[in-house]
Parts: sequence; C-alpha cells; structure tokens
Amino acid sequence: MTLWKFAARNIARNRRRTLLTLGVVVFGFAAIALAGGFMAQSLDGLGESTIRSGMGHLQIAPPGGFDDGGWETGRGLEGEARIAALLRQDPAVKEILPRLEFVGLLSDGRRSVPFLGVGVDPVPEASQMDAPKAIASGRWLADRDERAVVLGAGLARSLGARAGDGVTLLATGEDGTLNAVDAAVAGIVHMPLKELDDRYLAATLGLADDLLGAGGRVSRLAVVLGEARGAAAACRRIEARLRDAGVVVEARPWEALAPFYRQVRTLYLGIFGFMGIVLVVVVLLATANTMMMAAAERTREIGTLRAIGTRPSLIRGMFLREGILLAVAGSALGALLALLVRLVLNHSGLELPPPPGGTRGMPLHVQAYAVAYAAGAVAMLVTLTLAAWIPARRASRIPIVEALTHV
Amino acid sequence: MTAPTPILRAERLTRTYRIGDAPVAALRDVNLDLAPADFLVVQGPSGSGKTTLINLLGLLDRPDGGRVILEGRPVGDLGEEARADLRRDRIGFVFQTFSLVPVLTAAENVAWPMALKGLGEAEAMRRSRTLLERVGLAARADVRPDLLSGGERQRVAIARALANEPPLVLADEPTAHLDSEAAETILDLMADLNRERGTAFLVATHDPRVVARARRRLALRDGRFEGEGRAA
Repeated sequence: MTLWKFAARNIARNRRRTLLTLGVVVFGFAAIALAGGFMAQSLDGLGESTIRSGMGHLQIAPPGGFDDGGWETGRGLEGEARIAALLRQDPAVKEILPRLEFVGLLSDGRRSVPFLGVGVDPVPEASQMDAPKAIASGRWLADRDERAVVLGAGLARSLGARAGDGVTLLATGEDGTLNAVDAAVAGIVHMPLKELDDRYLAATLGLADDLLGAGGRVSRLAVVLGEARGAAAACRRIEARLRDAGVVVEARPWEALAPFYRQVRTLYLGIFGFMGIVLVVVVLLATANTMMMAAAERTREIGTLRAIGTRPSLIRGMFLREGILLAVAGSALGALLALLVRLVLNHSGLELPPPPGGTRGMPLHVQAYAVAYAAGAVAMLVTLTLAAWIPARRASRIPIVEALTHV
Repeated sequence: MTAPTPILRAERLTRTYRIGDAPVAALRDVNLDLAPADFLVVQGPSGSGKTTLINLLGLLDRPDGGRVILEGRPVGDLGEEARADLRRDRIGFVFQTFSLVPVLTAAENVAWPMALKGLGEAEAMRRSRTLLERVGLAARADVRPDLLSGGERQRVAIARALANEPPLVLADEPTAHLDSEAAETILDLMADLNRERGTAFLVATHDPRVVARARRRLALRDGRFEGEGRAA
C-alpha cells in the first residue's frame, strides 16, 4: 500500500464531500484557464490590430526618428532602396512598407481640420494592412503617384467630406514654408481606434512627397514579418545586420511603438491577476474548510496510525498527498471543462462590445492558452497543498492520547 | 543466577491531568518490571489509571514524573519521530476499540507497520497474510474492517500488533467490546502467541476472564498498585 494509494482511498471515502471539493477546484481551474485564454486572445487581437493598423511588426527610422511625431524638415531615411534590399535578406521579413508621416490641416475650402497623415505605397499596403480592407465607402488608393487620399470616417465626418470630393492638404514643407496640394478623396475608412479614426489620412507617397518636398525620402519603413512572435529578436537581428552594412538607423519592435497596447496589457494583467488571486483565495477557503472537516473526522484514526509507529512527518505527508491528488484530478477535470466551455463560446457567435477607444466590437473567442492552463494547475497545486497543510500540521501535532479518545 | 533484564521498566511513574483548575492524579509513583515473555495483567476498575499506564509504557504519552525504560534504554528524552520508530519496531498495541484503519483491508492493516519499517509491499502483504492465517482470518484478509465482526477485528488488531515481531505487546481492555466466545478466542490467541513466540504481553483490563488467564497480575487502584499477585 503506497501512501499515494492510501491518500486516494481516503479521498474516496466521503464521496459527496470529495465531489464538492473537487467541484471547487475544477471550477477554479476552468475559470483561470478561460480568463487567461480570453485575455490572451484579446491581447493577441489587439496586437494584431495594432500591427495591421499600419505599424508593422517593426519599424526602421533614421537616428532619433522615433522621438518626433513624423516628418521633420531635413530629416528622413537615406537610401531606402538599399535598406529595403538588406532587410529582404532576412528570411523572417515578408514585406517592407515605406512611410512618410506628417501632420497638417485638411480643408474643403470652407473649414480646416487637423490630421495625422501617412504617405504609403498603396499596393503592398493593401496586401498587409487592415485599413485598405476597412473601406466604408469609395475605394483604397490605386498607385504610388495617384493624387488622392483616404480619410478616417471620423475625420471625413468632421469635414463633411465624401468619397469623390476634392480637398486641400496643408503642411510645412522642406523649406519651412506652408505648402498645399489638392487631392481627391478616394475613400472613407473605419479605423479601429476612435482617436485614430478622427485624424487618419492616408495619401500616396507621391502626393505626400509633393506636399512635404521630401525629395523621395521616407520617414520610416514598416517591416512585416511572417509571424508576430519573435518580433523583438528579429528587430535586434535586423538592426545588427544594417549596422554591419554601415547603415546607421534605429529599429524598434511594434510593442515598443504601441503605448496603448502596453497600457491595455498592463490593465488586463492587473484585472485578471486580481481575479486570479480572488479565485485562489475562494478555492483555498473552501477546500481548507472541507479538508479540515475530513481531518477532524479522522482524528481517532490518526491517533491509531501514530500509536502504531507512523511518524508525524509521514502523517503530514499523507494529508499533503491528498491535497496534491485533489489538485491534480481537479486540474485535469478543470482543463476538460475549460476546453468544453471554450468550444461552446467560440462557436456561439457572440460578439463583445468595442474595447475602450475602439470603434468595432470583436467576436468572443477564447484561446487554449497553455500558460493559463499551466498557471491554473500550479495555482491549484499550491492552493490545495496549503489547504492540506493546516489539517496535516494539526494531525501530526495532536497528542496521541487525545487523538485516541477523540469522539 | 541473575534475573533477566526487564524488557520494560517503569520507575516512579506519575501522571496528573487537570480537569478545569483541579489537578487529578491518574498515576502516582508507579513502579513496574516486565520480563521477556511475561504475561502480566493489570487489573482495576474504570478510572484506576490502567489506560494512563498503558499510554505511558507504550510511549503514547509522557509522564510528569518518573521514567520509562524500554529494553534497558530510558526513552524520556527521545523526540516524537524516534518514539514513533520505537513503537513501530518494539511495541505492539491492541486497543479496546480495535482501531483499524477503515479504508484498508484486513491484510493491508496488518501490513501497514511493516511498510512503515521499509518492507516492500509484496513482502509485507505476504507476511501479513501469514499472520492473518495464524489468527484464523486467512479467508477474511481482503475484507475491510466494517465487514468484520468485533472478534475478527480484534484478531486483525492482534496480527497487526505482531507485524514487526515486537518483543512487547500492550493491550488495553482487548475484550471489552467482545462477546464471551470472541473474548475466549482472543485470550487463547494471546496466550498461544505469548507461549510460541516469547512475546511479552501487558494487558490492562477489568474483565475477570482476562484476569483468570494471567500468569502475573497487578491491581491498580486510584493510580497506585495495591500489591502483586501471582497466579497458581
């Protein structure tokens, strides 16, 4: 008779109570696994949305280029073509999207509203980014030199602009004077974040270059990788490759360029971390209570075991094994429950309301997030071990004579 | 010719409990020697201190005064783990209420002390079945205690007490919850084992059937021995 088998039999002796205890562990584990899966899915979704909003997985800028808000007179990325060629040597790089970022005023001749502009190469942009796919009316930009813009729906609304209208873009040019160019509104796009939607303007690189007098230079290169994971490592690798080639630039992964994403992640970790702690405390209190009851009922038996030579340390070990068995069984069943609930939720078609600052809701989807399952198992193991420790300590310390006469 | 070293010696054992604020002396300056292969019955009415004596001699409790010497070795300073090891290896217990572990079968109950000593499961179970056969319960080896009669349970308890072949068995009212027939069976068994194996028995009881079987008996009253009597 191993101690594990003995512990299993003790667990099975009061089936109703064991089922209740197990139920608490199963639901505790499933809650942690599902909440973690939901958090992971939400963060992945937000991350992907951030990347596909135009940021790419990493960006290349001239030295100090990440410190300003966009194009500055006399600044820009020298040798874009050579840099792009070097970048393409990295097998992780899928696409390189040039960017000429600027700010200015958009006018219909009667009113002017500020915008955050970005000059893009429309064709590769359309294949990699979300904006071209989120056209609400009109169309996306056709080619690099088209004299047209796409406006965020909020920006278009504030100006009363529609697809096909003519607008004027005003911005500070290379020589420091205010330049203006006319363009057609090719389309209106729904951007995922309201703040961006209210200010977004995409122009062709040709139009932006004319407006700014940039002389063919761009402010940044957005790099799209085959997959989002490993962006930071790819960034370091690419920066080293460029440095070895004598190209002095800065490279940053998307997370470093996305303060909103970082804030949301911190918020989520705080919320779900707090929920996790509450869950663990509830499981601890519920299981400790039932395990103490179970131990109290076995006081006389513990006295017998100790009387016939079972060491106090072994008595503690017996109870701890019961806690561990409950944690393992509860986690296994909890994992099954979590996977089942996940299956139901992911096929339910439910949609969540837009996140703070967002303009679009998202379908409810829960990942099978291995880290959450592992965290749930560890949490249940630690919790049940703690819950078992209290009766284990009591059982190993109670005077034998007192235990033998316990009623 | 020198007398054999007592397997168990009690010197001026004293144990006082507190009931509320009042001290109650359960044992007062009790002296006792138990020789190897002895069969000593300590008789006395309820409350005379028999169970307290068994508890102290069996290292289940610690005296307020005096000392216990087991096989020539004082045990008062030993820690809980060392005392547990001594109980496992050198002392067998038979309790009034059988005290079997309900989730273990009869054979597993008997094998438990052997497993504690480090014997492999298979060997422990083999020896356990041999012991159960000796106490006449071979056919009930795989039955759990709740399906055994009182007499059968006590026979399992005796087999368990002998599991690690201790030189000493302490029995506290072993026949108290048994009918006459079962009690006689248990007494026969203890007497046979005492004779066959040379195991010393110290039995605390107020059952006249047990007293009648004693080779040596001591009467305990109000925590003191009244005088030693020897059976004919």
